[in-house]
Amino acid sequence: MPFDQNLIVIIALLVIATVAGLVWRSSTGRAKRIKHGLQIDLKEIGATKDGKPVTAFGEHTTFLQFSSETCSTCKQTAKLFHELEKTSHGVLHIEVDLTHRLDLADKFGILQTPTTLVLDSKGIVKSRIGGAPKPSTIEEEIGHFVI
Amino acid sequence: MSKSQIDPRGPRFGAGITAILLLIDIYLSLTPASFPTAVSLLAIIVALFAIGAFFGNAKHPYGYIFKRLVRPLLQAPKELEDSRPPQFAQLIGLLVAGTGLILGAFDIQLGLTIAAAAAFFAAFLNAVFNYCLGCQIWLGLARAGLIKA
Repeated sequence: MPFDQNLIVIIALLVIATVAGLVWRSSTGRAKRIKHGLQIDLKEIGATKDGKPVTAFGEHTTFLQFSSETCSTCKQTAKLFHELEKTSHGVLHIEVDLTHRLDLADKFGILQTPTTLVLDSKGIVKSRIGGAPKPSTIEEEIGHFVI
Repeated sequence: MSKSQIDPRGPRFGAGITAILLLIDIYLSLTPASFPTAVSLLAIIVALFAIGAFFGNAKHPYGYIFKRLVRPLLQAPKELEDSRPPQFAQLIGLLVAGTGLILGAFDIQLGLTIAAAAAFFAAFLNAVFNYCLGCQIWLGLARAGLIKA
């Protein structure tokens, strides 16, 4: 039986897609340090929590999560931060939906959701996490945590 | 898009079937003798994407198969997810596979193969790695003014 060359194309596609998936999975959800980060203006981003405007940052760390309506991992990420907020002292989670705030997406150069900005107690951006954060990424930001 | 809650494993199961069908389609498209079959199969795949894009996963044949045959074998989902993200992914699938179908109808073999390969990538990554197209490209398209919220 002659070897079917077209089968090589199919196998190559499977291999490339698998490698791409593995690379994506290992790179997503990691924090990138930001030097001289912006100070976030809570009014400008329209931060609300339980329907009320947010007026102060977390005592220790604020996770500012940008989401969108078509994003399924945003919800899981929000749940993770919500748990973190309950169990770790001084941690605040704010979620802003960019679906109707494309101006903010432009301002912060956001291309994917969730994108999380990690802020210090003064609201200055310290790092940026693209994709659903890995537990090890959160540990780097706030130290050991239990949820 | 209507908002409802679905089992997140449903769309991933469907994406797995879609990925396999697309791979078969790519294989068929590589031989001139079976190219017309590839065009016909892609037409079916496009029709399935259209159902997903316009009516959502719950009304999709794969959604039905998942609910009747697969779901009873699994434990209850840990959490439900919004139906809009997978519906957006189906719309992108419809556009990409639809482009391939049009090119195929005009006998542009390479065009069909490339479009089917692009759709295969997204479906495969979704099924195997839980890659979410709505998370990755919606914002970019919206910022470029190509889609509206």
